[in-house]
Amino acid sequence: MLELKHVEKIYRVGVEDFHALRDVSLKIEPGAFLAFIGPSGSGKTTLLNLIGGLDRPSQGEVVLEGRSLADLNKDQLAELRRKKIGFIFQFHNLLPVYNVYENVLFPLLLNDEKESKVKDSVMNLIKRVGLEGLEKKKPTELSGGQCQRVAIARALVKKPSLVLADEPTANLDAENSRAILELTSELNREFGCAFLFSTHDEKLIQYVNRKITLDDGRIISDIDGLNGGTKS
Amino acid sequence: MIFQSAWKNFCRQGLRAILNILVAALTLVVAVFMVSLVNGFQDQSSKNLKKTDVAGGHYRLADFDILSPTEWEDFAFVTPPELKKISSDEKAEVLVQQGQIFPQNRFIPVQIRGIDLKQSLLELPLNSINSYKGDSIPAIIGTKMAKKSNLLKGDFVILKWRDKYGAVDAREIEIIETVRFVNPRLNDGVVWLGLKTLRDMTRRANESSWVTVKSDRGEIKGLSFLIPNVLMKDVIELAKHDRRNSMILWIILMLLCCISVFNSQMLNAFKRQKEAGTLLALGMTPGQLTRMFVLEGSFTAFGAVVLAFVIGVPFFAWFQTVGLDISHLKDSTIPVTENILLVFDPKQIVNCLVTATLMIVFASWLPARKISRIDPSRALVGKAF
Repeated sequence: MLELKHVEKIYRVGVEDFHALRDVSLKIEPGAFLAFIGPSGSGKTTLLNLIGGLDRPSQGEVVLEGRSLADLNKDQLAELRRKKIGFIFQFHNLLPVYNVYENVLFPLLLNDEKESKVKDSVMNLIKRVGLEGLEKKKPTELSGGQCQRVAIARALVKKPSLVLADEPTANLDAENSRAILELTSELNREFGCAFLFSTHDEKLIQYVNRKITLDDGRIISDIDGLNGGTKS
Repeated sequence: MIFQSAWKNFCRQGLRAILNILVAALTLVVAVFMVSLVNGFQDQSSKNLKKTDVAGGHYRLADFDILSPTEWEDFAFVTPPELKKISSDEKAEVLVQQGQIFPQNRFIPVQIRGIDLKQSLLELPLNSINSYKGDSIPAIIGTKMAKKSNLLKGDFVILKWRDKYGAVDAREIEIIETVRFVNPRLNDGVVWLGLKTLRDMTRRANESSWVTVKSDRGEIKGLSFLIPNVLMKDVIELAKHDRRNSMILWIILMLLCCISVFNSQMLNAFKRQKEAGTLLALGMTPGQLTRMFVLEGSFTAFGAVVLAFVIGVPFFAWFQTVGLDISHLKDSTIPVTENILLVFDPKQIVNCLVTATLMIVFASWLPARKISRIDPSRALVGKAF
């Protein structure tokens, strides 16, 4: 489903080049539940940004469902994100003017769906992530864990093939982190979409079935827990 | 969806949005006020000129120029039958000649203006000349002229003139009335006589300097017809000049308003870069993002138009009951005497509103364009700018 071929990302910092990613190549199957792990600055977020089409590699290629992202212009990348990719952020990034229901509905409206047709599925998803009764609440009225559940519902509502979650538990306490991880694990099985986490949260690593470790922009290990073997 | 988002974001701005709307609305009210005041000024001055001098236009010799008194004698003509036959409520024959008066041993050059006293086309308070029973030549002068020459009603003064054949003559005239003409050009420097009297004095039987008519009577051989706008060119120019000056002031106010909107939008763009990054990540295109931000700015413009109506309508209604006092201008050469009222021109108002709206939309488009070009990955961490 997703393939990265010799991907490099170089940032210009002042007069020097900073290599965020160096020759990263990997393949990810549909329905994967994996985590990119590594210390801060190892390139995890950069990798998710490149996969999500939010940034472009300096070299190499990202291929999603057979299409190279390099061939897509800004509007086509936006369409790809709108239809195929869900995002979950560390600080949930909910739209402050909207309530829970509207935040979850928003990606569908972006896809030109009629609210009347999708209302039930939005409500079901809100219920599924455990926020029933909080539909009218604004993000400022919710706890961090509740906000992250809204973000998960928002990411899944359009039934994407890929969900990119950047440090989704970094801002949560242990209990909320565990709850979020269990929820994402269940939803991964339910929806069949691939979940790609970036994290350095040890608890999260226990839930995934593939761990890709990054250091200094390089993949230093790729352990597939389900298969019990090292891929690279 | 974009409209709904823009509206909610706009409402979220709270006091900033309200202040922007208020500034823009006041600017619009000031713009409409200034333009309508100049209209009122032009309307009153042209009305005064029309009812006392210009009416529907003048038939005169081609090169006659009221500002060249030494040539007046060369440009008198015998009133042609086509004009002669027009009834006195639709035409007024006028003869102007140079002259001098000698009040209290002083010498003052004057315009001697003879007008058909039966005419009712122009509103001139000259009826008392008709009812004069004395032995002198009855004359009327304006209040400003009376003040300048120290002449009062009932005074006698020597008037000197030259007839058609160059002979200089002089006689005593009696000031039977000093009148405040609404047209200041007639209030100063003019000695009003009956047309027949002036024609007899200058031996210019049936001659006129111009014939004022109610409406264009078509081409008349040897004469030119000057339409009111040509005859009131100086007043129209003055109004145009005033309009230009008020436009400059309006543009300055509008720019200040646009800077305020621009500033708010820039602040928005800076403060909301994470939100912009999120929207791009969710799949909003840069074009949609621009439209959303521009729409937010546009609400200021539409809000301003609505508020301008709310503030403007009662203000203008009140102003029309009092008008602008211009009594300090009564001695000027501008033909306005009464309080000036606003004259609204729907086309001008629409122009003002459309221009203001477009300027505000443009002011909100500039920052919106900037935010649509941000790198979403940097915007998500608040480092896009």
